[in-house]
Amino acid sequence: MFKGRFSVPPETPRSKTSFNPSTPVTSRITNSQAQSSPHYTTTRRHSLYGVEDRIVIDPGSLVWKVGFSGEGRPREVFYPNAKSILKGLWDLNRASDATQRAEEGRILDIKLEQSLRSVFHDSLLTDPKARKVIIIENPLLPLHIKEALARTLFENLQVPSVSFASSHLLSLLAVGRITGLVLDCGYLESVALPIFAARPLFSQLRSTPLAGQRFLSHLRSLLLLFGTYVAPTSPGANLPQASRSMRVPPEVLTNEVLEQIKTRCCFVGESLAPVEAVDHGPTPDDSVATSSDIDMPPSSDPAPSESEFSFAGRESGVSSQQDSSEFSVVSTPRMGGSGRTEERSGNENQAQALAEMYMRHSTATDLSLRVEPPASMANSSSLGYGTIIIPGWIRERTAEVLFVGGDVDEGSLAEVILDALLKVPVDLRKTLASSILIVGGTSMLLGFIPRLHVELLRALAPQTPPSSVSPNTSTTEPDKSSQTRPRYDHYASLRPLIPYISVVNNPSPPPPLSDRAKNNAGKAPAFSPATMAWVGGSLAGALKIGGTEVSREKWDEADPEREDPDASVAESTVRRAVAGSHGQSPPSRNVLPDWTRIPLASGAPPAASIATSSPMRTSGARARVGA
Amino acid sequence: MGPNVLYHCPCLSTSSVPPPPHQISSSYSFHPLHELFFCEECDAVRCNRCVSVEVSGYYCPNCLFEVPSASVRAEKNRCARNCFMCPNCRNTLSVVPSDPPDAGDGRLLAPISTVGEPPFFLYCNHCRWDSSEVGITFEKPTGLAAQLQKLEDSAPDSLEFDRLKEHFEPIIRASSLSSSSTVPSTSHSRHHSNPITAAASAALARDIPGVGKYTPLTRSGRSSGKDRSANKDEMPEYKSRLDITKASAYGSGGGDVDVDFMRRLETVSEVASLDQRWTYSWSTSLETRDLKPLRIPLHSKHSKRCPACAHILIKPEQKAQSVRYKIKLVAANYLPAITVALPHQIEMLGHISAEATKRGTKSTAEDDRDTRGGLQAGKTYPFHMALTNPLYDPIQVRLSVQRMHVAPSGEGEKARRPPFAISIPTTPFSVAPFAEAWEYEDDEDMFALDDDELEARLSGREKEPKAKSKTVGVLEKRANVTVVGGEVALGKEARGEIKFNMLVAYTYRSDDPTPSEGHDISPSKKAVPETKTFAFYTVVDLGAIIPKDEDSRLEAYNV
Repeated sequence: MFKGRFSVPPETPRSKTSFNPSTPVTSRITNSQAQSSPHYTTTRRHSLYGVEDRIVIDPGSLVWKVGFSGEGRPREVFYPNAKSILKGLWDLNRASDATQRAEEGRILDIKLEQSLRSVFHDSLLTDPKARKVIIIENPLLPLHIKEALARTLFENLQVPSVSFASSHLLSLLAVGRITGLVLDCGYLESVALPIFAARPLFSQLRSTPLAGQRFLSHLRSLLLLFGTYVAPTSPGANLPQASRSMRVPPEVLTNEVLEQIKTRCCFVGESLAPVEAVDHGPTPDDSVATSSDIDMPPSSDPAPSESEFSFAGRESGVSSQQDSSEFSVVSTPRMGGSGRTEERSGNENQAQALAEMYMRHSTATDLSLRVEPPASMANSSSLGYGTIIIPGWIRERTAEVLFVGGDVDEGSLAEVILDALLKVPVDLRKTLASSILIVGGTSMLLGFIPRLHVELLRALAPQTPPSSVSPNTSTTEPDKSSQTRPRYDHYASLRPLIPYISVVNNPSPPPPLSDRAKNNAGKAPAFSPATMAWVGGSLAGALKIGGTEVSREKWDEADPEREDPDASVAESTVRRAVAGSHGQSPPSRNVLPDWTRIPLASGAPPAASIATSSPMRTSGARARVGA
Repeated sequence: MGPNVLYHCPCLSTSSVPPPPHQISSSYSFHPLHELFFCEECDAVRCNRCVSVEVSGYYCPNCLFEVPSASVRAEKNRCARNCFMCPNCRNTLSVVPSDPPDAGDGRLLAPISTVGEPPFFLYCNHCRWDSSEVGITFEKPTGLAAQLQKLEDSAPDSLEFDRLKEHFEPIIRASSLSSSSTVPSTSHSRHHSNPITAAASAALARDIPGVGKYTPLTRSGRSSGKDRSANKDEMPEYKSRLDITKASAYGSGGGDVDVDFMRRLETVSEVASLDQRWTYSWSTSLETRDLKPLRIPLHSKHSKRCPACAHILIKPEQKAQSVRYKIKLVAANYLPAITVALPHQIEMLGHISAEATKRGTKSTAEDDRDTRGGLQAGKTYPFHMALTNPLYDPIQVRLSVQRMHVAPSGEGEKARRPPFAISIPTTPFSVAPFAEAWEYEDDEDMFALDDDELEARLSGREKEPKAKSKTVGVLEKRANVTVVGGEVALGKEARGEIKFNMLVAYTYRSDDPTPSEGHDISPSKKAVPETKTFAFYTVVDLGAIIPKDEDSRLEAYNV
């Protein structure tokens, strides 16, 4: 989308100087500092009322960030679905039934309208009629949502113009680059997109649903299995904490609580040592045999808070829970209850083995979180808050789910990056591999980026033993993963890139293996990954390069009935069906620029993509069609 | 939530007929009467979803200072005086002197009168947070935000942002120059014939940096290894003011320091919650103790216009302290207000609320009401609707229930939704005008009650909750209120909610077919009465049905 507007830097004279970038750049910077205080350069350009500043909206499915262009941070960040946070405005799925889908569309329209109106009227307190809008879009943002956004902005709020800009490209701008491989790890999915010279290489886009939502559902199931809930005290009976402990009831884990745990307690630990993973791989008998000593914390465990809730208490908590086990839906794989070991199904055995392995690799402290007891469990005798005890290893290891690939449609985050890199033309690989940028809300997890870097290196490591790439793939299908991997060395052609791999916003980069990595790794400005796309949007607005504008006149002129000649038959029929099912809302117009509407290049695809595209993922088409 | 009536605004759909009420989306088309506006020009109801909103003034909700719109932007929509919020509990912070000389507490709410020791700081009266914890103190107790503004302007994110802008600006300028210098030569010759072809040729003529260098680089560049540190896009490298590696060394960028902190975390409250830190675009500390005081966001007064004709519907007075309106065309002044009640429920409510207070828990009380005061499947219940006329003229009202089409959607629950039968009086009835007390007897002849109605009305008056003799029809008339009775018969297998759309059409006398603008809402009474009819849709929600099986189980239990 930037192709039209974002013009490319001049190429001839600079190519020489950029080989030795340190001198000219530093001189330029000293100049700029000498000029004036940077603050005044921003304010000087604004007129009194600052109407030419655009509104920059980063509408995620879960979180929206809004503000004015030219500012360094968004004015407001909010959950658009305020009533039930963590239920995004949209999902990867759409209803297949036409009437249901129409209903979904209406609700989406209404919620978008609500959110957009509140952006202008409550957050930014500005008149929409005087403001141009930049919408930051994910490349896989479904078209019907894009249309709905534009429809509301033009028809309800009557903004003068809307432009859409790619979130990946804007993120790159925010770190002062126009070339790089950007991984946006958001809520619904993680999307890796290589960008060269401000041109997003959309055909090399890769995505995986391993993202925030998956993290949360994993966190939820781990807490249900291995967390402990301490019911509130009763005034009369002064029960010890031990006898009030029980398994976490599902009602306690509301979305709000989960989000809180995710954002305040969780982090990403170092990668599991491959050797150990092979040794103590999730073999069920092994775990059963060692289950007794797993009960005790490892001696190296520095966690002092363990003493707060004694293990004796925990044991009795287990036993009390054993009594009530017939009421619980899932038979507990909690450690300690040796009597039930035989009854465990294989699945739970695996969960147990997984937990034990994680426990072994975690030194994080356990945390307790106060939560409101669920209404169904509240009885008149209980007072105050209940407590969830979150084992340290859950805090540290929940994110493992993101680094372990599933089937071919759910590659791990490292695999998504490497797959994108594989598709990139060979000449660009080194450049892109050395400027990887990780953005998105989920990457705000502490330790996420360093860990991803390690995972990248490990996926590329030579003679990778099959199970060590993903030591716990076996939770899903142990045999399958060990079969697929060794037969074909997927990333062999990328192996020479190992010294060049560098994540530009890695907060603690490993010692560089090449000059290039040294110059790039961790050199990005310290913007937080979640707001990087917004900051880039603000920058693009300030530089007046915010993507192709669609003016209101153009929107109004566009004949809703006309079909896009470029759109493929399948897509246009789908889109027509979508538009038709919206019922009262006008059918889609094709005035909105979108990369899927750009006709494909007629030339032969690059050789690299032919070679490696055998298990083609059509995630783009999938998300767009919304099947 | 008891039974209620919501009014339809047709803005969400093109047809004037509202969507069937069992759709979830339909609830967004209906609004309480007090939230609606009425455009006299268009003769239509407008809601908060469709009106266009203009800001008519900014003010701080804490100090009620009216902020001139010129300074709103520079001050980032936040109060630039002394108003701050506690970062932990969002309470208003007060300014206190650091070391009160006397033995008393010295924490005064009014900072102006304080004569304290110079280092002032902000203090939260609720959670006892104080700003000296994060190193924010003030020399003077006034103009605190201005003192903090400097801090904000030198925030690393804005400095870095400006540096980024300076980095990109010359490049963009140069590239736009180069593209405009190469292309116009061709477009000049074509007399600017076609802007599209010009643009296309411009795009084609532009060089793609790396691609242009493709061949030489593969031959020489790679083998010599000169490009080891250079990217191929030939963009001058951007050097960050403060890069993420350095920033995280201080423990704010999500690096090893932070991971270590997280690993040793003892209590959750040490980590700030997401919404306390998510507006910071710069990598900030996670810890709660590092949170900074927040300036209070400004509020704005809105004036609203009709989306169709752009006439002002509501316009507040400028002053922040005032809660009055200069123009106020609200629907409550035009449409009859309708309230609905279930007589048997009201009766039960007394018992239940008494019991509920004894029991003290809300959920159980609700359960109880559902079973006893609720609507059980297979039974018939009366309901009352009271219509209040806001006009100075009597109105003739006709009610009709929109036909329920049971949606054959395969949603299980919804598909089995059985028809419940609603019977309401279909003959027009009158509602007396809204009038001052001495004018009230005027239109007695307009009542024109037939005998049954009169009887019903009497019976309704005498034993109001149990109108057993007649439930459907006009039950009562007093002042400008008319109460009509209706009946709902529930099917045996009924479940879900009793919600039905009702069309209300009312006829009133109007001498002026196009009422003049302004908020004079009374069509003045003149000699030649001309009648006008206005119709609007409402949705009547009587509450949830208690399914039969639950009911029978209850009965079995009783037996």
